[in-house]
Amino acid sequence: MAFIELNVLNNEPSPILGIDLGTTNSLVAMWKDGRPQILKPEGHDGHIPSAIYFPENAEQPIVGQAVRERALVDPTGTVFSIKRFMGRGLKDVAEELSSVQFPASENENGQIEFDIRGRMYTPQELSALILMRVHDIACKTQLAGLGRRIVITVPAYFDDAQRQATRDAARLAGLEVERIINEPTAASLAFGLDQMKSGTIAVYDLGGGTFDVSILAIDDGVFRVLATTGDTHLGGDDFDRALAKLAHDDLIDQVGEETAQDSAFQQALRLSAERTKIGLSGHLEAEYRIVIPESSIRYHREIKRSEFEELSKPLIERTLVSCRQALSDAGLEATDIDEVVLVGGSTRIPAVREAVEQFFGRKPHTELNPDEVVALGAAVQGHILSGGTRDILLMDVVSLSLGLETVGGGVDKVIVRNSPIPCQATETYTTNVDNQTGIKFTVIQGERELAGDCRTLGNFELKGIPPMPAGLPRVAVRFQVDANGMLSVTAKEQSTGQTARIEVKPMHGLTDEEVESMLKASYDFAQDDFDNRRAADLRVDIARMCRASRAHYEEAKPALDRETIEDIDEALKAGDEAASSNLPDELQKVRDEIERATLPLAAVLMDAVAKSAMAGKTLDEL
Amino acid sequence: MTMICSGCESELASHLVCESCGALQVCEESPTPFASMGLEPSQAMDSGALKKRLVKLSRAMHPDFFGNSDAATQQLAIDNTAELNAAFEILASDMARADWLVRSLGGPDENSERQMPQSFLIEVMEWNELLEEARDSGSGSPEYESAQKLGVTLQAERAAIMQGIDAALTPLPEAGSPTLTDVRKQMNAVRYVDRALEQLAELAVQANH
Repeated sequence: MAFIELNVLNNEPSPILGIDLGTTNSLVAMWKDGRPQILKPEGHDGHIPSAIYFPENAEQPIVGQAVRERALVDPTGTVFSIKRFMGRGLKDVAEELSSVQFPASENENGQIEFDIRGRMYTPQELSALILMRVHDIACKTQLAGLGRRIVITVPAYFDDAQRQATRDAARLAGLEVERIINEPTAASLAFGLDQMKSGTIAVYDLGGGTFDVSILAIDDGVFRVLATTGDTHLGGDDFDRALAKLAHDDLIDQVGEETAQDSAFQQALRLSAERTKIGLSGHLEAEYRIVIPESSIRYHREIKRSEFEELSKPLIERTLVSCRQALSDAGLEATDIDEVVLVGGSTRIPAVREAVEQFFGRKPHTELNPDEVVALGAAVQGHILSGGTRDILLMDVVSLSLGLETVGGGVDKVIVRNSPIPCQATETYTTNVDNQTGIKFTVIQGERELAGDCRTLGNFELKGIPPMPAGLPRVAVRFQVDANGMLSVTAKEQSTGQTARIEVKPMHGLTDEEVESMLKASYDFAQDDFDNRRAADLRVDIARMCRASRAHYEEAKPALDRETIEDIDEALKAGDEAASSNLPDELQKVRDEIERATLPLAAVLMDAVAKSAMAGKTLDEL
Repeated sequence: MTMICSGCESELASHLVCESCGALQVCEESPTPFASMGLEPSQAMDSGALKKRLVKLSRAMHPDFFGNSDAATQQLAIDNTAELNAAFEILASDMARADWLVRSLGGPDENSERQMPQSFLIEVMEWNELLEEARDSGSGSPEYESAQKLGVTLQAERAAIMQGIDAALTPLPEAGSPTLTDVRKQMNAVRYVDRALEQLAELAVQANH
């Protein structure tokens, strides 16, 4: 606090970080030297995998770049794509549960919980672990303390419960959420600032697990969202899954139904599919190979880009339906769009680019890194909120309609989608029966006609209405959506001058007390032993990395050159010696050194079997 | 009704914020959409000028610019921007604007005057039939083509009725004037046209091109 006040006195706003909590990767950025910049520690590209590795012996979970390699050695211990579960119930995500290898259940709040090595974790808690790591990394890049204020991004199409969950995750990580902003809108800020004075733009955002499209009017620093739509169940993971299904169908006879259900098998399929997909973005043909030594599965197949495109077609068409919807909502034609901006790693898929170009009739922009543009935009918003500029203004909209369930199970829309935020609306209701003293309300979010097809955000009952003939009481229900796109509902009985007031607690959200008790329960937050904790984490991390590297080191040696071997030996030796150190910064260096040095080893291990299978081919053929 | 800024006492255009000194205004009751925007009530509206007003006033009161203010001021910025946004939504739509004017002048509400001439209702039924056929036959079919053509006809029909509504509301009639009843009848006809146009738009979104 003292830090913030000091800065106010100096007339220097305290920085607010921009965080993109992605399905696959997370990034953090801040406004520095007159522009938004991704925070990258030395030797690190700033892309922090949104994955967590839980070691078997119940040591501390590991977050960050080290997780990817762990996932290959011990796929069942790794949790991916947590974002898909945020603010969701079990039935919402039945298809996606395979990305987490731990048993899932639902707690009394309707939240998913994973039983991970004997401890229950909600998606919020898992995301909090990632956010803590993200904040750590941000702190590492800065000399002065950064504080804990952030702008965090969510897919535009996230509903209220998903936004709540995201905010709760940040609170659990000890961060102060100054604003939640929509990812495509954030991207437009970064793009507009960089490239454009005024005009109409479409942002096509295909991430790891979600798809959004937004249409914006940019006019001299004002970014006004005209329409936004999307699909929270569509992303790069689905392209992987389409490929994985191909291998699954090829292998099913060989491995049998039981192995096919095995999580390690599915994880291997998934990871190989992802590699193949990425390969196909740069080449017309790629290897699809799966090697699982334990079950002696060796699978190898050539995939042509055209084959992959055939598989992707229905997925891409779904994104185009959303594009048409967004244009229609904005009252525009494709030809009215001046610029198209691509966001999200999945827009690297050539077929996606071609489809977007054809749809809008112009070449999409690719100057900005599609992985980084969202975090950069969040940093711009952080700069605005900290009082750094009044030249830029973002005017966003509600992406999903909000309303109340009617007696017949329909939806009475109170705020319609694409209404500018913040906004408010009041509807008046009355009683059906004489002397009725209470009215129940169910708050609904979504576009479908029937409440059952939409999202139920919460229930509340207004009690204490004085007995009166039916139709006389006047209950005013007021919806307010703030600049975060988040809803609060209050109700008032007006006819007698008596008023009652209720706040709706969303089903998937946490109360302040719950967050506080979770924070207390978690020893991770004790500030004074922060360094000790970090050192302990790093020691554990280093020991594990050494162990994992040595496991197959001898077999891999023939494939490594002498220099690399010396490099690895030296790094591992430093790792052994680090066991007695208690200095986090020193340990960090050792850890990063091992990570760097063993990369060629990991590559060899992954490729070893496949290479032997293809002996005799030239490099070009590979 | 002239309103005075609670801070610098200069005359307010928008009742929500003072454009001279920047003070957010506390409103006991919601201002009318026109008062929120600082415009005289009128059915005629220059949409470009309206957008400019929205942006100018948003720049003065958007909660993003009150991040370092106290909680009460932040809440006021949210409330007043919500009022401004609601006003914009009404004023930006020809039908919502007419609806607000008719009701504020004591004219019938949208649930009155719903009796349509039979010839019009037959026309509506024909549109619906055409739309249904187009939906069943899919894009590229002759039925779909006819529905596209219907869209053009409907746009023209809508423009013609709206012109009548605009003329009847310019200048604004006296409160309680019988003109308002006539305007409401025409507005209810536009609602039928709008519903058909909406369905056409949905058809275009879902169509597999």
